[in-house]
Amino acid sequence: MAVSTIYSTQSLNSTHFLTSSSSSSTSKHVFFYRRNQSQTNRRFNTTIITCAQQQTIVIGLAADSGCGKSTFMRRLTSVFGGAAEPPRGGNPDSNTLISDTTTVICLDDYHSLDRTGRKEKGVTALDPRANDFDLMYEQVKALKSGVAVEKPIYNHVTGLLDAPELIQPPKILVIEGLHPMFDERVRSLLDFSIYLDISNEVKFAWKIQRDMAERGHSLESIKASIEARKPDFDAFIDPQKQYADAVIEVLPTQLIPDDNEGKVLRVRLIMKEGVKYFSPVYLFDEGSTISWIPCGRKLTCSYPGIKFNYEPDSYFDNEVSILEMDGQFDRLDELIYVESHLSNLSSKFYGEVTQQMLKHADFPGSNNGTGLFQTIVGLKIRDLYEQLIANKATAPAETAKA
Amino acid sequence: MATIATTSLSMATQRAIVTSENRPVRLAGPVRLNNPWNLASRTTNRMVSFNPVKATPEGGISDIVEKSIKDAQETCAGDPVSGECVAAWDEVEELSAAASHARDKKKAGGSDPLEEYCKDNPETDECRTYDN
Repeated sequence: MAVSTIYSTQSLNSTHFLTSSSSSSTSKHVFFYRRNQSQTNRRFNTTIITCAQQQTIVIGLAADSGCGKSTFMRRLTSVFGGAAEPPRGGNPDSNTLISDTTTVICLDDYHSLDRTGRKEKGVTALDPRANDFDLMYEQVKALKSGVAVEKPIYNHVTGLLDAPELIQPPKILVIEGLHPMFDERVRSLLDFSIYLDISNEVKFAWKIQRDMAERGHSLESIKASIEARKPDFDAFIDPQKQYADAVIEVLPTQLIPDDNEGKVLRVRLIMKEGVKYFSPVYLFDEGSTISWIPCGRKLTCSYPGIKFNYEPDSYFDNEVSILEMDGQFDRLDELIYVESHLSNLSSKFYGEVTQQMLKHADFPGSNNGTGLFQTIVGLKIRDLYEQLIANKATAPAETAKA
Repeated sequence: MATIATTSLSMATQRAIVTSENRPVRLAGPVRLNNPWNLASRTTNRMVSFNPVKATPEGGISDIVEKSIKDAQETCAGDPVSGECVAAWDEVEELSAAASHARDKKKAGGSDPLEEYCKDNPETDECRTYDN
């Protein structure tokens, strides 16, 4: 199938797929949908029309269940522009989210064993034996090279594999789930990867918050579930963080002695050095070690205050920069003051981080380092995408001239 | 000027394809006027009776979560380190996450059924908005 692509130089606008006459009616439906989207969002300056293969960049996001992947995805797609929604007219239990630029697919869709199958064999969803990495690799590879795929749907309510859905190659493909960096072949397809590393104390606190109101749950059941899954988590999920280009670590605060409530958090953004198109954010002086308490004479903060730390370090034998925030924002001026002291944010205008945080003030973590660092990573990925596209856009033009 | 010319070229290409399939052509005007963020304030009480079909009611999944916890406790009573026990608690986690997502979805989208409907059908009469 020939795929013609029209894309704009101002990069983050919608792509139109013009499929040839032999294409199925399903793909035409997708085309309609994209056209409507573009009409509300047409702001581009110049348009290049090429009939070449679609450029898709692939981002991997790994984290355990209940560790904030969905919130991160909402922040990420918001930075890219346009709300992400489930595919229209599709399976209401689909795990996919689509926006103008981005498609997010959930890797649970590549479960090879459904809920009954896992129970019979006595394996968890965390176990590689319950997942089909061959299919995952084939389909991510196809999407990356501009070919649409029929992806299975794992239904989280029924625990069954539903009829597949058609996924068109987007500009930005995000694969999120338990194992985006587990399989070496899948890992090689990633242009950027992120791991959300939630400490045990915080994981427990978050799950209590999420589940205590649920009928049947108790502190014991929440604890039992975390403990039962832990060996598989340690064996198959946790080791993936060594491959991540950015890790967001979430730990209990050190500002309140012996705090175990999990309300105030210490969050660390670990950024790998030397990654193409990704230059880490820094505080005051790149490569130095800095400890900064913004609260004082110029800015008054409420208890327990805010503390930042920035330093070069090593992480699994990789050279990294670590930016750490302990505490939480209680007022807008605290957030904007902090933003104005961070460098290399890849924002398009002064205050963009603050604007994004305010826009989603209702999301969990909007007042602490989780929301701040997720937003920053979103800006860095947007920047990475724009650099990649700018580099690739010059190549086909030169070929055409020759 | 060059910008406008290229833009309309791409529009023309799209329309040609749409009409060749004998599908109705939607013009830009009404679609562009239907900004979803305008709908909330203007159309609060219209078509309240319209209810989009939800895949699974929230009550349904709560029952499944409750049952999965009982199952896990029973399975683990005999052998707390068996694969079956671990798989049963993993199922509890999966369902608890699904229940939490269902609650979020309900909070985010289910509040205004018309808004949901107009997202999918912006061209219909009941979804039109006018600037004056």
